[in-house]
Amino acid sequence: MPPEGSAGREAGRARRRPLGTLRDVTTQPQVRARAIEAAPLATAAPIPGTVPTRPIPRGRGAVHKIRRFLIRTGPAYLFILPAVAAMLFVHYIPMAGGILVAFKDINLFTVTRWYDAPWVGLDNFVQGLNPDGFLGSRFWQSLWNVTFFGAVTITAGYVIGMAVALLLNREFPGRTLVRGIILLPYITPDSVAYSVWRFIFQARIGLVNMWLMKLGIIDEPVIWLVGSNAIYAVMLAAIWKGWPFAALVLQAGLQTIPRELYESAMIDGASRWQRFRYITLPMLAPVTRMLILVSILWNYNAFNQFYVMLGKDPGPAADVPSTLILRETFSTFNFGVGSAMSVVLMGVMLVLTMLYLRALRASERGQA
Amino acid sequence: MATAGLAYRRRHKRGTILGWLLFALAVLAVLIVVLVPYGWMVSGSFKSSVELQAADVTRPGQEPSWIPRQPTLDNYRNVNRTVRILDYLKNSLIISTGTMVLATTLALLAAYALSRWAFPGRNAYVVSVLSTQMLPGILFLIPYFILFTWLRNQFGVQLRDTYIGMIITYTSFALPFSIVMLRSFLDSIPVELDEQAQIDGASRLRILFSVLLPLARPGIVSVAIYCFIMGWNEVLFASVLTGTSTRTVAVGLLEYITAHEARWTMMMAASIITSVPVLVLFSFLQRYVISGLVSGAVKG
Repeated sequence: MPPEGSAGREAGRARRRPLGTLRDVTTQPQVRARAIEAAPLATAAPIPGTVPTRPIPRGRGAVHKIRRFLIRTGPAYLFILPAVAAMLFVHYIPMAGGILVAFKDINLFTVTRWYDAPWVGLDNFVQGLNPDGFLGSRFWQSLWNVTFFGAVTITAGYVIGMAVALLLNREFPGRTLVRGIILLPYITPDSVAYSVWRFIFQARIGLVNMWLMKLGIIDEPVIWLVGSNAIYAVMLAAIWKGWPFAALVLQAGLQTIPRELYESAMIDGASRWQRFRYITLPMLAPVTRMLILVSILWNYNAFNQFYVMLGKDPGPAADVPSTLILRETFSTFNFGVGSAMSVVLMGVMLVLTMLYLRALRASERGQA
Repeated sequence: MATAGLAYRRRHKRGTILGWLLFALAVLAVLIVVLVPYGWMVSGSFKSSVELQAADVTRPGQEPSWIPRQPTLDNYRNVNRTVRILDYLKNSLIISTGTMVLATTLALLAAYALSRWAFPGRNAYVVSVLSTQMLPGILFLIPYFILFTWLRNQFGVQLRDTYIGMIITYTSFALPFSIVMLRSFLDSIPVELDEQAQIDGASRLRILFSVLLPLARPGIVSVAIYCFIMGWNEVLFASVLTGTSTRTVAVGLLEYITAHEARWTMMMAASIITSVPVLVLFSFLQRYVISGLVSGAVKG
């Protein structure tokens, strides 16, 4: 059964449309284009979407219209209902709950009767964000850490990914194998990859210190995973793990660039750099935009690399919001403050996304 | 004229050989960077713990070595002795498979509706699906925990530390991406096929399973693999919502290192065992999965 209320409301909206408007997929331009491609003979007549199995009742009355709507569109709601229900219970309701909890005083004792917990207004936010308090200063520090971390890893990942994508963008024996191997870091489970890197960064038995000693760069082992060095160690591991995805996406993007563009540029005497600068980069712009946006969003959720390599408490210099909130919530059992900080984190991500999209739009307008 | 051409060709050829050599070196460098950690993992898994404890980068001759001095299989034999990694593997297998089945089924139904009907509310739904992907996971974790605790105390429904609780949790995280990905696959199948089947008297569900499902198999396979790998790799929720009876391998692996003892050699052996299912699945279906993941990522 489709949700009765929404179907009724939608039917009401449908009534406002001109009578006889076909509400089917072929009104969508891209699907229609595909359908036309597939059936070139049928281009003259409008293609009916899905032929209903039951005869559609005719008539102009509201009852008929609702019946018609239910028969034509009803099944769509049936099919989508399970996914909507699942997401309602596991996304929308918990999210609303998370925002509510941010305004309540919830600790280990009140958590079982969370709805009875006292409202505290903005107290949780004050406690979590006040830069003069212990928690607040840790929170701002963690936001700075994750921003710095993301700026380095995303840039490096993109540059390396682009270099390798360009390198492998030609025929050579064994290309499939090489492409498969460079994907290994991407598909290796996070906890495995970062455990290995934690092993590599061990001070006394680690590979990094062994090589640095042999090269004479250091005289005594560096402690990598504690204190101010830790974030750089995690960065290196995260770049190693992250660039193959950039390479993968950029490789797919490179394959969509028409070869003729390069040929005509070569006839015009464009240098290798000019071809890259004026053909490859602009043609990859849409893919790049998506890739960077996704990377930024993922970055602010960064947790696995820090948790696996540095443990529950990475220390102030390498703390990120996710580890801080996790500790505050499940070690100190300060659910309200934890929620308040995650709401702020969500706000930061929303603002960044909007700024990013706006900057892109502005730069596009500048180019046009 | 002829000699000039010959000289040009020879010079050009030499340039090509040099170019190929540089190219091969560059590819080799990339491969080495990728493979060094794996080499260190494999080598570590064959070392005895005594050898590793004695190793020290400061003492010449005692440095950790690439080739184990006394190669041993003990780490693999005793992998389950200190950490119940085999149980964790079983838990991960159950949770990931459950997630895969549930999420793929729900996503397929939803994608079918999104692809074949232009129903009111569709755009709003697509936007809400996409926006859930942007939200920080930690935002959901706290309400989940509270909800799970509350359900247990109020209704006696145990979700924390149960397979079904984890499957529901992971399904919800896999759903948005899976729906978007499957929809683009279904969109690429011409509607004429549906119509043909409908004229032949097939029901909506029949069309989905008999007509669209075989054609969308690459998409469905890549979504299924994505869901499985997501469940296998997830750390944040598993670290809070699983307990002794459902701990997944992604979190269990970290138990080899405690405050008192660091069992690196066993951890490396366990790491290899943990990676195998993912690597095998991926290499079997590399082509499908990559095209699916890339199209999903590029389209957002």
